Amino acid sequence: MKAYDLSIPLGPMHPAFKEPLRVKLKTEGEVVVGAEVDLGYVHRGIEKIMRRRPWQKAVFLAERVCGICSNSHNLTFIETLEKISDVEIPERAKYLRLLAQELNRLHSHILANLALFLAIEHETLAMMLLNVRERVLDCQELLCGNRVILSYNVVGGVRFDTTPSILKEILAVIDEIEPKLRRYAEMFEHGPLLRMRTEGIGYMSKREAELAPAVGPIARGSGVRFDWRMKHPDYVDILDFKPVWREEGDARARYMVRFDEIFECIKMIRYLCENMPKGEIRRRAEVKSGEAVHTQEAPRGDLTYFVRTDSFGRIEDITIRTPTIPNLGAFVKYMLRNSPTIADAVVIYASIDPCIACLER
Amino acid sequence: MIGKLKNLVRRKSFHVCLLNVGSCNGCDIEVLACLAPRYDIEQYGIYVHNNPREADVILVTGAVTDQWVEKIKEIYAKVPEPKAVIAIGSCALSGHMFAEGCTHPPVSRHIPVAVEVPGCPPRPQEILDAILSVAPVVFKDYDEKGGG
Ligand code: SF4
Repeated sequence: MKAYDLSIPLGPMHPAFKEPLRVKLKTEGEVVVGAEVDLGYVHRGIEKIMRRRPWQKAVFLAERVCGICSNSHNLTFIETLEKISDVEIPERAKYLRLLAQELNRLHSHILANLALFLAIEHETLAMMLLNVRERVLDCQELLCGNRVILSYNVVGGVRFDTTPSILKEILAVIDEIEPKLRRYAEMFEHGPLLRMRTEGIGYMSKREAELAPAVGPIARGSGVRFDWRMKHPDYVDILDFKPVWREEGDARARYMVRFDEIFECIKMIRYLCENMPKGEIRRRAEVKSGEAVHTQEAPRGDLTYFVRTDSFGRIEDITIRTPTIPNLGAFVKYMLRNSPTIADAVVIYASIDPCIACLER
Repeated sequence: MIGKLKNLVRRKSFHVCLLNVGSCNGCDIEVLACLAPRYDIEQYGIYVHNNPREADVILVTGAVTDQWVEKIKEIYAKVPEPKAVIAIGSCALSGHMFAEGCTHPPVSRHIPVAVEVPGCPPRPQEILDAILSVAPVVFKDYDEKGGG
Protein backbone atom coordinates (compact mmCIF):
# COMPACT_ATOMS: atom_id res chain seq x y z
CA MET A 1 0.00 0.00 0.00
CA LYS A 2 1.15 3.48 -0.83
CA ALA A 3 1.95 5.95 1.91
CA TYR A 4 -0.29 8.97 2.06
CA ASP A 5 -0.31 12.22 3.95
CA LEU A 6 -3.81 12.70 5.11
CA SER A 7 -7.11 10.90 5.02
CA ILE A 8 -10.06 13.22 4.56
CA PRO A 9 -13.46 11.81 5.44
CA LEU A 10 -16.41 13.12 3.46
CA GLY A 11 -19.85 12.28 4.76
CA PRO A 12 -22.06 10.60 5.80
CA MET A 13 -23.64 13.99 5.40
CA HIS A 14 -21.87 16.17 2.91
CA PRO A 15 -23.21 19.17 1.01
CA ALA A 16 -22.38 17.62 -2.35
CA PHE A 17 -23.90 14.22 -1.73
CA LYS A 18 -27.57 13.60 -2.17
CA GLU A 19 -27.43 10.53 -0.01
CA PRO A 20 -25.58 9.35 3.07
CA LEU A 21 -22.26 7.73 2.25
CA ARG A 22 -18.82 8.05 3.74
CA VAL A 23 -15.83 8.38 1.42
CA LYS A 24 -12.35 8.56 2.91
CA LEU A 25 -10.04 10.30 0.47
CA LYS A 26 -6.33 9.58 0.81
CA THR A 27 -4.35 12.58 -0.27
CA GLU A 28 -0.80 13.65 -0.98
CA GLY A 29 -0.96 17.40 -0.76
CA GLU A 30 -3.83 18.35 -3.03
CA VAL A 31 -3.67 15.17 -5.08
CA VAL A 32 -6.04 12.35 -4.34
CA VAL A 33 -4.29 8.99 -4.41
CA GLY A 34 -7.03 6.67 -3.29
CA ALA A 35 -10.35 6.31 -1.58
CA GLU A 36 -12.23 4.06 0.74
CA VAL A 37 -15.98 3.83 0.55
CA ASP A 38 -17.97 3.13 3.68
CA LEU A 39 -21.47 1.82 3.04
CA GLY A 40 -24.54 0.72 4.91
CA TYR A 41 -26.34 3.90 5.87
CA VAL A 42 -29.53 3.17 3.94
CA HIS A 43 -29.63 -0.62 4.17
CA ARG A 44 -33.24 -1.46 4.92
CA GLY A 45 -33.16 -5.19 4.14
CA ILE A 46 -35.67 -5.11 1.31
CA GLU A 47 -34.78 -8.54 -0.08
CA LYS A 48 -35.25 -10.02 3.36
CA ILE A 49 -38.68 -8.43 3.77
CA MET A 50 -39.70 -9.63 0.31
CA ARG A 51 -39.07 -13.30 0.97
CA ARG A 52 -42.14 -15.42 1.74
CA ARG A 53 -44.51 -12.66 0.63
CA PRO A 54 -47.00 -12.83 -2.22
CA TRP A 55 -45.76 -11.06 -5.35
CA GLN A 56 -48.61 -8.57 -5.12
CA LYS A 57 -46.97 -7.23 -1.96
CA ALA A 58 -43.38 -7.60 -3.10
CA VAL A 59 -43.94 -5.44 -6.15
CA PHE A 60 -44.55 -2.40 -3.96
CA LEU A 61 -41.33 -3.11 -2.10
CA ALA A 62 -39.46 -3.48 -5.38
CA GLU A 63 -40.34 -0.01 -6.58
CA ARG A 64 -39.35 1.48 -3.26
CA VAL A 65 -35.79 0.23 -3.61
CA CYS A 66 -35.12 3.58 -5.22
CA GLY A 67 -37.46 6.50 -5.66
CA ILE A 68 -35.62 7.99 -8.63
CA CYS A 69 -35.73 4.97 -10.93
CA SER A 70 -38.77 3.37 -9.28
CA ASN A 71 -40.35 2.42 -12.59
CA SER A 72 -37.27 0.48 -13.71
CA HIS A 73 -37.37 -1.65 -10.59
CA ASN A 74 -41.07 -2.20 -10.96
CA LEU A 75 -40.75 -3.12 -14.64
CA THR A 76 -37.81 -5.46 -14.18
CA PHE A 77 -39.46 -7.28 -11.30
CA ILE A 78 -42.71 -7.69 -13.24
CA GLU A 79 -40.89 -8.84 -16.39
CA THR A 80 -38.99 -11.43 -14.39
CA LEU A 81 -42.27 -12.79 -13.06
CA GLU A 82 -43.66 -12.83 -16.60
CA LYS A 83 -40.61 -14.71 -17.78
CA ILE A 84 -41.23 -17.33 -15.09
CA SER A 85 -44.89 -17.76 -15.95
CA ASP A 86 -44.79 -17.26 -19.76
CA VAL A 87 -47.18 -14.34 -19.89
CA GLU A 88 -47.73 -12.40 -23.11
CA ILE A 89 -48.98 -8.86 -22.68
CA PRO A 90 -51.29 -6.98 -25.07
CA GLU A 91 -49.84 -4.61 -27.67
CA ARG A 92 -51.21 -1.45 -26.10
CA ALA A 93 -49.75 -2.42 -22.71
CA LYS A 94 -46.32 -2.78 -24.32
CA TYR A 95 -46.52 0.76 -25.64
CA LEU A 96 -47.72 2.15 -22.33
CA ARG A 97 -44.95 0.40 -20.44
CA LEU A 98 -42.30 1.79 -22.73
CA LEU A 99 -43.84 5.24 -22.44
CA ALA A 100 -43.75 5.17 -18.64
CA GLN A 101 -40.21 3.81 -18.65
CA GLU A 102 -38.88 6.46 -21.02
CA LEU A 103 -40.56 9.27 -19.09
CA ASN A 104 -38.90 7.89 -15.97
CA ARG A 105 -35.53 7.77 -17.70
CA LEU A 106 -35.95 11.32 -18.93
CA HIS A 107 -36.58 12.63 -15.42
CA SER A 108 -33.75 10.56 -13.96
CA HIS A 109 -31.18 11.78 -16.49
CA ILE A 110 -32.20 15.40 -15.98
CA LEU A 111 -31.88 14.91 -12.22
CA ALA A 112 -28.44 13.30 -12.60
CA ASN A 113 -27.14 16.19 -14.66
CA LEU A 114 -28.56 18.80 -12.35
CA ALA A 115 -26.93 17.10 -9.36
CA LEU A 116 -23.61 17.34 -11.19
CA PHE A 117 -24.11 21.04 -11.86
CA LEU A 118 -25.06 21.65 -8.25
CA ALA A 119 -21.81 19.90 -7.30
CA ILE A 120 -19.79 22.31 -9.43
CA GLU A 121 -21.83 25.19 -8.01
CA HIS A 122 -23.43 26.24 -11.27
CA GLU A 123 -26.79 26.89 -9.74
CA THR A 124 -28.46 28.79 -12.57
CA LEU A 125 -28.12 25.97 -15.05
CA ALA A 126 -29.19 23.45 -12.43
CA MET A 127 -32.37 25.44 -11.74
CA MET A 128 -33.17 25.58 -15.45
CA LEU A 129 -32.98 21.81 -15.61
CA LEU A 130 -35.03 21.47 -12.42
CA ASN A 131 -37.79 23.50 -14.07
CA VAL A 132 -37.82 21.22 -17.09
CA ARG A 133 -37.91 18.20 -14.84
CA GLU A 134 -41.09 19.46 -13.19
CA ARG A 135 -42.80 19.32 -16.57
CA VAL A 136 -41.70 15.71 -17.04
CA LEU A 137 -43.07 14.84 -13.60
CA ASP A 138 -46.37 16.41 -14.67
CA CYS A 139 -46.43 13.97 -17.60
CA GLN A 140 -45.79 11.07 -15.24
CA GLU A 141 -48.62 12.23 -13.05
CA LEU A 142 -50.98 12.45 -16.03
CA LEU A 143 -50.09 8.98 -17.22
CA CYS A 144 -49.71 7.04 -13.95
CA GLY A 145 -51.39 9.16 -11.29
CA ASN A 146 -48.33 9.87 -9.16
CA ARG A 147 -45.22 11.98 -9.39
CA VAL A 148 -42.50 9.75 -7.99
CA ILE A 149 -43.63 6.23 -7.09
CA LEU A 150 -45.57 5.15 -10.16
CA SER A 151 -46.88 1.60 -9.43
CA TYR A 152 -47.77 1.32 -13.10
CA ASN A 153 -46.90 -2.21 -14.23
CA VAL A 154 -48.61 -5.42 -13.13
CA VAL A 155 -48.23 -9.00 -14.32
CA GLY A 156 -50.20 -9.19 -17.57
CA GLY A 157 -50.23 -5.51 -18.49
CA VAL A 158 -50.49 -2.09 -16.89
CA ARG A 159 -52.72 -0.74 -14.18
CA PHE A 160 -54.49 2.19 -15.83
CA ASP A 161 -55.49 3.04 -19.34
CA THR A 162 -54.84 6.43 -20.83
CA THR A 163 -56.89 8.70 -23.08
CA PRO A 164 -56.04 10.47 -26.36
CA SER A 165 -56.27 13.83 -24.62
CA ILE A 166 -53.59 12.80 -22.10
CA LEU A 167 -51.33 11.63 -24.91
CA LYS A 168 -51.88 14.95 -26.66
CA GLU A 169 -50.94 16.78 -23.51
CA ILE A 170 -47.74 14.73 -23.11
CA LEU A 171 -46.87 15.54 -26.72
CA ALA A 172 -47.43 19.22 -26.03
CA VAL A 173 -45.11 19.10 -23.01
CA ILE A 174 -42.46 17.27 -25.04
CA ASP A 175 -42.71 19.89 -27.78
CA GLU A 176 -42.33 22.59 -25.15
CA ILE A 177 -39.27 21.16 -23.38
CA GLU A 178 -37.32 19.91 -26.38
CA PRO A 179 -36.09 23.30 -27.66
CA LYS A 180 -35.23 24.30 -24.09
CA LEU A 181 -33.21 21.14 -23.54
CA ARG A 182 -31.45 21.62 -26.86
CA ARG A 183 -30.45 25.11 -25.81
CA TYR A 184 -29.16 23.89 -22.44
CA ALA A 185 -27.27 21.02 -24.04
CA GLU A 186 -25.62 23.53 -26.34
CA MET A 187 -24.60 25.62 -23.34
CA PHE A 188 -23.25 22.61 -21.52
CA GLU A 189 -21.30 21.47 -24.52
CA HIS A 190 -19.60 24.79 -25.19
CA GLY A 191 -19.64 26.67 -21.88
CA PRO A 192 -16.02 27.53 -21.00
CA LEU A 193 -16.57 27.28 -17.24
CA LEU A 194 -18.10 23.82 -17.45
CA ARG A 195 -15.34 22.70 -19.78
CA MET A 196 -12.70 23.82 -17.31
CA ARG A 197 -14.30 21.90 -14.47
CA THR A 198 -15.03 18.69 -16.36
CA GLU A 199 -12.79 18.19 -19.39
CA GLY A 200 -10.18 15.51 -18.82
CA ILE A 201 -11.32 15.10 -15.22
CA GLY A 202 -11.89 11.53 -14.09
CA TYR A 203 -10.71 9.96 -17.32
CA MET A 204 -11.39 6.27 -17.81
CA SER A 205 -10.36 4.43 -20.97
CA LYS A 206 -12.55 1.95 -22.80
CA ARG A 207 -10.40 -0.95 -21.67
CA GLU A 208 -10.67 0.12 -18.04
CA ALA A 209 -14.41 0.58 -18.37
CA GLU A 210 -14.70 -2.99 -19.59
CA LEU A 211 -12.41 -4.29 -16.85
CA ALA A 212 -14.16 -2.52 -13.97
CA PRO A 213 -16.82 -3.29 -15.42
CA ALA A 214 -18.63 0.03 -15.57
CA VAL A 215 -22.21 -0.05 -16.84
CA GLY A 216 -24.80 2.27 -18.32
CA PRO A 217 -24.08 5.86 -19.36
CA ILE A 218 -20.77 5.74 -17.47
CA ALA A 219 -19.46 2.95 -19.69
CA ARG A 220 -20.98 4.55 -22.80
CA GLY A 221 -19.14 7.76 -21.94
CA SER A 222 -15.92 5.76 -22.36
CA GLY A 223 -16.89 4.33 -25.74
CA VAL A 224 -18.48 1.03 -24.75
CA ARG A 225 -21.21 0.43 -27.30
CA PHE A 226 -23.65 -1.56 -25.28
CA ASP A 227 -27.10 -0.91 -23.94
CA TRP A 228 -29.49 -3.54 -22.58
CA ARG A 229 -32.29 -1.94 -24.50
CA MET A 230 -30.68 -3.40 -27.65
CA LYS A 231 -31.61 -6.84 -26.31
CA HIS A 232 -35.10 -6.02 -25.20
CA PRO A 233 -37.64 -7.31 -27.74
CA ASP A 234 -40.07 -4.40 -27.31
CA TYR A 235 -37.42 -1.76 -27.78
CA VAL A 236 -36.10 -3.50 -30.87
CA ASP A 237 -39.47 -4.29 -32.49
CA ILE A 238 -41.36 -1.12 -31.69
CA LEU A 239 -38.72 1.56 -31.44
CA ASP A 240 -35.79 0.25 -33.46
CA PHE A 241 -33.48 1.32 -30.66
CA LYS A 242 -29.88 2.42 -31.28
CA PRO A 243 -27.47 3.19 -28.43
CA VAL A 244 -25.53 6.44 -28.14
CA TRP A 245 -21.98 6.73 -26.87
CA ARG A 246 -19.01 9.10 -26.64
CA GLU A 247 -15.33 8.33 -26.85
CA GLU A 248 -13.73 10.88 -24.51
CA GLY A 249 -14.23 9.03 -21.21
CA ASP A 250 -14.11 12.04 -18.90
CA ALA A 251 -16.74 13.65 -16.66
CA ARG A 252 -17.89 15.81 -19.55
CA ALA A 253 -18.48 12.82 -21.84
CA ARG A 254 -20.58 11.20 -19.14
CA TYR A 255 -22.97 14.09 -18.81
CA MET A 256 -23.08 14.64 -22.55
CA VAL A 257 -24.05 10.97 -23.03
CA ARG A 258 -26.93 11.62 -20.68
CA PHE A 259 -27.94 14.63 -22.76
CA ASP A 260 -27.79 12.58 -25.95
CA GLU A 261 -29.95 9.94 -24.32
CA ILE A 262 -32.43 12.59 -23.24
CA PHE A 263 -33.00 13.45 -26.90
CA GLU A 264 -33.33 9.77 -27.78
CA CYS A 265 -35.94 9.45 -25.03
CA ILE A 266 -37.84 12.42 -26.40
CA LYS A 267 -37.84 10.87 -29.87
CA MET A 268 -39.15 7.59 -28.47
CA ILE A 269 -41.82 9.25 -26.36
CA ARG A 270 -43.04 11.16 -29.40
CA TYR A 271 -43.21 8.00 -31.50
CA LEU A 272 -45.06 6.09 -28.77
CA CYS A 273 -47.62 8.84 -28.23
CA GLU A 274 -48.32 9.23 -31.93
CA ASN A 275 -48.59 5.53 -32.74
CA MET A 276 -50.40 4.21 -29.68
CA PRO A 277 -52.49 1.18 -30.76
CA LYS A 278 -56.01 0.54 -29.50
CA GLY A 279 -57.06 -2.51 -27.50
CA GLU A 280 -57.00 -4.00 -24.03
CA ILE A 281 -54.35 -3.07 -21.51
CA ARG A 282 -54.28 -6.05 -19.19
CA ARG A 283 -54.73 -9.79 -19.50
CA ARG A 284 -55.58 -12.30 -16.82
CA ALA A 285 -52.37 -13.91 -15.72
CA GLU A 286 -51.17 -16.21 -13.02
CA VAL A 287 -47.71 -16.42 -11.50
CA LYS A 288 -46.38 -19.98 -11.64
CA SER A 289 -43.56 -21.52 -9.70
CA GLY A 290 -40.09 -21.34 -11.15
CA GLU A 291 -37.05 -19.13 -11.29
CA ALA A 292 -35.61 -16.63 -13.74
CA VAL A 293 -32.97 -13.97 -14.17
CA HIS A 294 -33.78 -10.82 -16.07
CA THR A 295 -31.74 -7.74 -16.88
CA GLN A 296 -32.99 -4.34 -17.98
CA GLU A 297 -31.40 -1.01 -18.72
CA ALA A 298 -32.24 1.26 -15.79
CA PRO A 299 -31.27 4.93 -16.12
CA ARG A 300 -27.93 4.18 -14.43
CA GLY A 301 -27.11 0.89 -16.15
CA ASP A 302 -27.87 -2.80 -15.89
CA LEU A 303 -30.44 -3.79 -13.34
CA THR A 304 -30.71 -7.53 -12.71
CA TYR A 305 -33.36 -9.40 -10.80
CA PHE A 306 -33.17 -13.04 -9.85
CA VAL A 307 -36.49 -14.35 -8.56
CA ARG A 308 -37.69 -17.79 -7.45
CA THR A 309 -41.40 -18.25 -6.78
CA ASP A 310 -43.43 -21.08 -5.29
CA SER A 311 -46.73 -22.42 -6.61
CA PHE A 312 -48.83 -19.93 -4.60
CA GLY A 313 -47.16 -16.98 -6.30
CA ARG A 314 -45.02 -16.21 -3.25
CA ILE A 315 -41.44 -15.05 -3.49
CA GLU A 316 -39.12 -17.77 -2.23
CA ASP A 317 -35.85 -16.13 -3.05
CA ILE A 318 -34.83 -12.86 -4.62
CA THR A 319 -31.58 -11.09 -5.40
CA ILE A 320 -31.27 -7.64 -6.86
CA ARG A 321 -28.13 -6.36 -8.52
CA THR A 322 -28.05 -2.65 -9.17
CA PRO A 323 -25.83 -0.59 -11.48
CA THR A 324 -24.17 1.60 -8.84
CA ILE A 325 -22.03 -1.21 -7.40
CA PRO A 326 -19.74 -1.66 -10.45
CA ASN A 327 -19.77 2.06 -11.16
CA LEU A 328 -18.60 2.92 -7.67
CA GLY A 329 -15.84 0.36 -8.10
CA ALA A 330 -14.76 2.03 -11.33
CA PHE A 331 -14.84 5.39 -9.55
CA VAL A 332 -12.46 4.29 -6.82
CA LYS A 333 -10.18 2.21 -8.99
CA TYR A 334 -9.80 4.14 -12.24
CA MET A 335 -11.44 7.54 -12.25
CA LEU A 336 -9.88 8.90 -9.07
CA ARG A 337 -6.41 8.50 -10.60
CA ASN A 338 -7.19 11.45 -12.84
CA SER A 339 -8.39 13.77 -10.15
CA PRO A 340 -6.00 16.72 -9.78
CA THR A 341 -7.61 18.18 -6.64
CA ILE A 342 -10.02 17.23 -3.91
CA ALA A 343 -12.74 19.44 -5.38
CA ASP A 344 -12.48 17.44 -8.59
CA ALA A 345 -13.05 14.21 -6.70
CA VAL A 346 -16.49 15.52 -5.77
CA VAL A 347 -17.21 16.34 -9.42
CA ILE A 348 -16.20 12.85 -10.52
CA TYR A 349 -18.35 11.35 -7.81
CA ALA A 350 -21.35 13.34 -9.04
CA SER A 351 -20.61 12.44 -12.66
CA ILE A 352 -21.10 8.70 -12.08
CA ASP A 353 -24.59 9.49 -10.76
CA PRO A 354 -24.47 7.11 -7.79
CA CYS A 355 -27.71 5.92 -6.26
CA ILE A 356 -26.98 4.72 -2.75
CA ALA A 357 -30.55 3.68 -2.00
CA CYS A 358 -30.36 1.25 -4.95
CA LEU A 359 -26.96 0.04 -3.90
CA GLU A 360 -27.77 -0.87 -0.33
CA ARG A 361 -31.46 -1.67 -0.63
CA MET B 1 -37.00 46.59 20.77
CA ILE B 2 -33.86 45.14 19.24
CA GLY B 3 -34.91 41.71 20.38
CA LYS B 4 -38.30 42.10 18.75
CA LEU B 5 -36.76 43.20 15.50
CA LYS B 6 -34.35 40.29 15.61
CA ASN B 7 -37.19 37.87 16.12
CA LEU B 8 -39.15 39.35 13.26
CA VAL B 9 -36.23 39.06 10.90
CA ARG B 10 -35.19 35.61 11.96
CA ARG B 11 -38.66 34.25 11.46
CA LYS B 12 -38.35 35.14 7.80
CA SER B 13 -34.90 33.71 7.24
CA PHE B 14 -33.86 30.28 8.34
CA HIS B 15 -31.76 27.40 7.25
CA VAL B 16 -33.06 23.94 6.58
CA CYS B 17 -30.93 20.81 6.61
CA LEU B 18 -31.99 17.60 4.91
CA LEU B 19 -31.16 14.39 6.74
CA ASN B 20 -31.64 11.06 5.00
CA VAL B 21 -31.79 8.24 7.53
CA GLY B 22 -32.63 5.40 5.17
CA SER B 23 -35.21 6.63 2.72
CA CYS B 24 -35.78 5.45 -0.84
CA ASN B 25 -34.84 8.88 -2.29
CA GLY B 26 -38.45 9.54 -3.20
CA CYS B 27 -38.94 12.00 -0.37
CA ASP B 28 -35.51 13.55 -0.91
CA ILE B 29 -36.18 14.39 -4.52
CA GLU B 30 -39.48 15.96 -3.54
CA VAL B 31 -37.58 18.22 -1.13
CA LEU B 32 -35.20 18.97 -4.00
CA ALA B 33 -38.20 19.78 -6.19
CA CYS B 34 -39.15 22.50 -3.69
CA LEU B 35 -36.03 24.35 -4.85
CA ALA B 36 -37.41 24.57 -8.37
CA PRO B 37 -38.60 27.96 -9.54
CA ARG B 38 -42.13 26.58 -9.65
CA TYR B 39 -42.34 26.24 -5.87
CA ASP B 40 -39.44 28.56 -5.13
CA ILE B 41 -38.68 27.77 -1.52
CA GLU B 42 -36.24 30.68 -1.30
CA GLN B 43 -38.93 33.32 -1.72
CA TYR B 44 -40.02 32.45 1.82
CA GLY B 45 -36.49 32.95 3.11
CA ILE B 46 -35.79 29.23 3.45
CA TYR B 47 -32.35 28.04 2.49
CA VAL B 48 -31.81 24.30 2.02
CA HIS B 49 -28.39 22.76 2.56
CA ASN B 50 -26.79 19.74 4.15
CA ASN B 51 -24.95 21.12 7.12
CA PRO B 52 -26.51 20.43 10.54
CA ARG B 53 -24.28 22.91 12.35
CA GLU B 54 -25.87 25.86 10.57
CA ALA B 55 -29.41 24.60 10.49
CA ASP B 56 -32.52 25.79 12.29
CA VAL B 57 -34.88 23.13 11.04
CA ILE B 58 -33.98 19.54 10.10
CA LEU B 59 -36.07 17.61 7.63
CA VAL B 60 -35.78 13.89 8.35
CA THR B 61 -36.73 11.36 5.68
CA GLY B 62 -36.66 7.61 5.91
CA ALA B 63 -37.03 4.81 8.42
CA VAL B 64 -34.09 4.90 10.84
CA THR B 65 -31.64 2.18 9.77
CA ASP B 66 -29.26 0.34 12.11
CA GLN B 67 -26.33 2.62 11.36
CA TRP B 68 -28.31 5.77 12.06
CA VAL B 69 -29.67 4.91 15.52
CA GLU B 70 -26.75 6.55 17.34
CA LYS B 71 -25.78 9.05 14.67
CA ILE B 72 -29.20 10.65 14.42
CA LYS B 73 -28.92 11.68 18.08
CA GLU B 74 -25.40 13.01 17.56
CA ILE B 75 -26.50 15.09 14.61
CA TYR B 76 -29.49 16.37 16.51
CA ALA B 77 -27.17 17.47 19.32
CA LYS B 78 -25.00 19.37 16.83
CA VAL B 79 -27.85 21.58 15.68
CA PRO B 80 -27.84 24.90 17.57
CA GLU B 81 -30.85 25.97 19.64
CA PRO B 82 -33.65 26.72 18.94
CA LYS B 83 -34.33 23.84 16.60
CA ALA B 84 -37.21 21.85 15.20
CA VAL B 85 -37.49 18.51 13.43
CA ILE B 86 -39.91 17.81 10.61
CA ALA B 87 -40.47 14.14 9.74
CA ILE B 88 -41.27 13.70 6.06
CA GLY B 89 -42.92 10.71 4.48
CA SER B 90 -44.62 7.59 5.74
CA CYS B 91 -41.22 6.01 6.36
CA ALA B 92 -40.26 8.56 8.98
CA LEU B 93 -43.70 8.38 10.57
CA SER B 94 -44.19 4.65 10.87
CA GLY B 95 -41.52 2.75 8.97
CA HIS B 96 -43.97 2.19 6.12
CA MET B 97 -43.17 -1.10 4.38
CA PHE B 98 -39.64 -1.22 5.77
CA ALA B 99 -40.82 -1.58 9.36
CA GLU B 100 -39.96 -5.29 9.37
CA GLY B 101 -36.50 -4.85 7.91
CA CYS B 102 -33.29 -3.58 9.50
CA THR B 103 -34.93 -0.36 10.65
CA HIS B 104 -36.01 1.25 13.91
CA PRO B 105 -38.93 3.49 13.12
CA PRO B 106 -40.42 5.93 13.89
CA VAL B 107 -38.09 8.91 14.01
CA SER B 108 -39.94 10.32 17.03
CA ARG B 109 -38.59 7.41 19.10
CA HIS B 110 -35.06 8.82 18.74
CA ILE B 111 -35.45 12.60 18.60
CA PRO B 112 -38.38 14.93 19.34
CA VAL B 113 -40.41 15.67 16.21
CA ALA B 114 -42.37 18.89 15.80
CA VAL B 115 -44.30 18.31 12.58
CA GLU B 116 -45.13 15.15 10.64
CA VAL B 117 -45.92 15.14 6.94
CA PRO B 118 -47.54 11.89 5.77
CA GLY B 119 -47.46 10.65 2.19
CA CYS B 120 -45.35 8.44 0.01
CA PRO B 121 -43.90 10.82 -0.99
CA PRO B 122 -45.72 13.99 0.12
CA ARG B 123 -46.15 16.66 -2.52
CA PRO B 124 -43.72 19.59 -2.49
CA GLN B 125 -46.51 21.98 -1.50
CA GLU B 126 -47.17 19.95 1.64
CA ILE B 127 -43.49 19.97 2.59
CA LEU B 128 -43.35 23.71 2.05
CA ASP B 129 -46.47 24.20 4.12
CA ALA B 130 -45.00 22.17 6.99
CA ILE B 131 -41.77 24.18 7.02
CA LEU B 132 -43.70 27.44 6.98
CA SER B 133 -46.02 26.34 9.76
CA VAL B 134 -43.14 25.50 12.10
CA ALA B 135 -41.25 28.75 11.56
CA PRO B 136 -43.33 31.22 13.59
CA VAL B 137 -43.51 28.83 16.56
CA VAL B 138 -39.81 28.00 16.76
CA PHE B 139 -38.54 31.52 16.29
CA LYS B 140 -41.08 33.34 18.42
CA ASP B 141 -38.89 34.12 21.41
CA TYR B 142 -35.57 33.32 19.89
CA ASP B 143 -33.48 35.27 22.42
CA GLU B 144 -35.14 33.87 25.53
CA LYS B 145 -34.64 30.34 24.28
CA GLY B 146 -30.89 30.75 24.28
CA GLY B 147 -30.28 31.86 20.73
CA GLY B 148 -28.42 34.99 19.93
S1 SF4 C 1 -42.28 7.60 2.34
FE1 SF4 C 1 -42.29 6.58 0.34
S2 SF4 C 1 -41.16 7.97 -1.01
FE2 SF4 C 1 -40.69 8.58 1.09
S3 SF4 C 1 -38.80 7.49 1.59
FE3 SF4 C 1 -40.51 6.21 2.30
S4 SF4 C 1 -40.91 4.80 0.59
FE4 SF4 C 1 -39.67 6.49 -0.22
